[in-house]
Amino acid sequence: MKKSMLFSAVLAILVLALAGGVFAADLDTANPIKIGYVGALSGDTALWGQAGLNGLNLTAEMINEDGGILGREVQIIGLDGKGAADDSVAAYKRLVEQEGVVAVVGTNFSSCNIPIAAVSDELHVPVIATAASNELVTVDANGNLHPYSFRLCFIDPYMGYLAGSYAYNELGLRKAAIITDITDPYSTGVGGYMLDTFTSLGGEVVAQEEAQNGDNDFRAQLTKIAMAQPDVLFVPWNYVNVALIGQQARELGITAVMVGADGWDTNELIELSRGALEGSYYVSRPGFNLPEAAAYFEIYDAKFHSSKETECLYGNDGLMWIKQAIEAAGSAEPDAIRDQLEATDSFDGLLGHMSVDPANHNPSRDAAIFRVDADVVTYVGIYDPAK
Amino acid sequence: MKILIQQMITGISIGSVYALIASGYALVYSLLDFSNWAHGEVCMLGAYCCFMATLVPKMPLSVSCLIGIGGAALISLFNEKLAYRRIRNNGSPNMFLMIAAMGLSTTYQNLANVIWGSKFKQLPRFFKTTTLNINGIFVGTTDLLCIVISLIVLVILLLIINQTRFGLHVRAVACAGRTARIMGVRIDQVIALVFVMAGALAGLAGITYGMKYNVYPTMGNVGLKAFIASVIGGLGSVPGAIVGAVLLGLIETVVSGYISSGLRDLISFSLLILILLIRPSGLFGVDVQEKA
Repeated sequence: MKKSMLFSAVLAILVLALAGGVFAADLDTANPIKIGYVGALSGDTALWGQAGLNGLNLTAEMINEDGGILGREVQIIGLDGKGAADDSVAAYKRLVEQEGVVAVVGTNFSSCNIPIAAVSDELHVPVIATAASNELVTVDANGNLHPYSFRLCFIDPYMGYLAGSYAYNELGLRKAAIITDITDPYSTGVGGYMLDTFTSLGGEVVAQEEAQNGDNDFRAQLTKIAMAQPDVLFVPWNYVNVALIGQQARELGITAVMVGADGWDTNELIELSRGALEGSYYVSRPGFNLPEAAAYFEIYDAKFHSSKETECLYGNDGLMWIKQAIEAAGSAEPDAIRDQLEATDSFDGLLGHMSVDPANHNPSRDAAIFRVDADVVTYVGIYDPAK
Repeated sequence: MKILIQQMITGISIGSVYALIASGYALVYSLLDFSNWAHGEVCMLGAYCCFMATLVPKMPLSVSCLIGIGGAALISLFNEKLAYRRIRNNGSPNMFLMIAAMGLSTTYQNLANVIWGSKFKQLPRFFKTTTLNINGIFVGTTDLLCIVISLIVLVILLLIINQTRFGLHVRAVACAGRTARIMGVRIDQVIALVFVMAGALAGLAGITYGMKYNVYPTMGNVGLKAFIASVIGGLGSVPGAIVGAVLLGLIETVVSGYISSGLRDLISFSLLILILLIRPSGLFGVDVQEKA
């Protein structure tokens, strides 16, 4: 309670600072610290990319009004990775080689951050993925660490473990089906762990189907799933496809509870799904349900009039984590930032508390369960099967 | 057996949208011997016109659909008057028409991104009940409506082409443009009207697609599938395009359902290559020696 009050007070001061520009006088603007952002700023998933960049810009504005980092102004340079691996790698390289950034935040896609991680090994500038949850974002296929690649989110195995465990233990479901996107490591990764956990607990898998990103019609696969009569359908996809899969599954008479992961986590889900996801669940971050995040969103909304996307919180947390690292190191050199990021044993962001495992750069943080109804998504609470 | 019937229904439903777009490709190709790559984007803009109309208070959905169809027809006509006719009248090769179409396609896609953003939109549906359960076979009401409307429209299109004086002119221009001109056919007028018809069909396809799935700036990419369908059926042949479209819808569904979704596009495109190798004129096509 005290913490949230303190945070609110800090936010209030920052708002006043933004209005009056009271702290800006001593800011070193001639020698700014440049932070890059790579995200989908155009295309089908620009909703998230724009939110992430907005979050970074807003927080940078707040930091600058508060005297910057080590007295230096923070500059954000956002480039469009289009949600595609090649464009995202090109954006990261340009940020490092041409713009001279000291650290990069983004992307939110595993498919983009896996190749970026390999490039960061060569360019030696840390990159902090936001929602990219595949294991290979921070370690290669042989388990070797990508020393400059970090992430803010929990990893696929953990989300898959929570979803599988919640379906079996809390919802009491026993027969599972799954449809995965074979072109997306996120989907196959989370989906695999959902099934592994579900079967290890004693559940049965009655249907496993595949589709591809870009598909709009999933009825060929869902017809086979319908015939297998599952009581839970795992849908580890992004929200647009989740909405279509949900509608088409219901049209084919599938009544199974649908369970997903953080790809569902957007306000668009309710509007796009036309009520088909009623009674479904997904695992994600606590999002705006923490008071600090809710307070931040009020400022964010006043400035951008934008929808509530968790990616803006990631943008804030990415930048604040870099700020903490620079201040701890007393230097804004990429290698010094990297060392401090790796050594992080406590970082409090808008998405909650986290610490980093130096062996694999994966954060340890809380996860939450959400329930989808016809016209609202409800925060069920933090879920930890071990407790 | 139930699974097979269910898959066939899905295949026909997908194919019916392809058919509407493919018949527009075929119409334009039959007259001008070029692949109108902007056709998918006309389909997308038709869906957006309909979407905008649905935002007007108390606007009946059927009127919004007509506005979408009309909007697409006008945009298609605009393409013809702005770009294609000028290139034709300059006596430039057909390749120029195709390049212009590609330019228009990219322009419209970017324009849609700027105007409406990349957020997915939804078109309202005509029925509250989403599905009919016929002895365990589920048929989506929107699908059923789309199939019936597509069928009616395509039959009307075939009647216009084969039974009317205008259709005779279209066939005459398609067969021998210069001779038709000498015989008194006003070629530019015929071509303009064909673009209007193709645009209206694309608009209808965009609306049905938007009702079944979503409306978004890159939805015109479905035009590529429709193009494959029209190649399978025979470029320039409207009945061929329709048969090719339904065939492609069925093949995609059967491959996704029984083999692998990952192989679906591989098989569709392999089929395209095979047809180009074995029967370049497609199932119903005529001579394609000079086709782009």
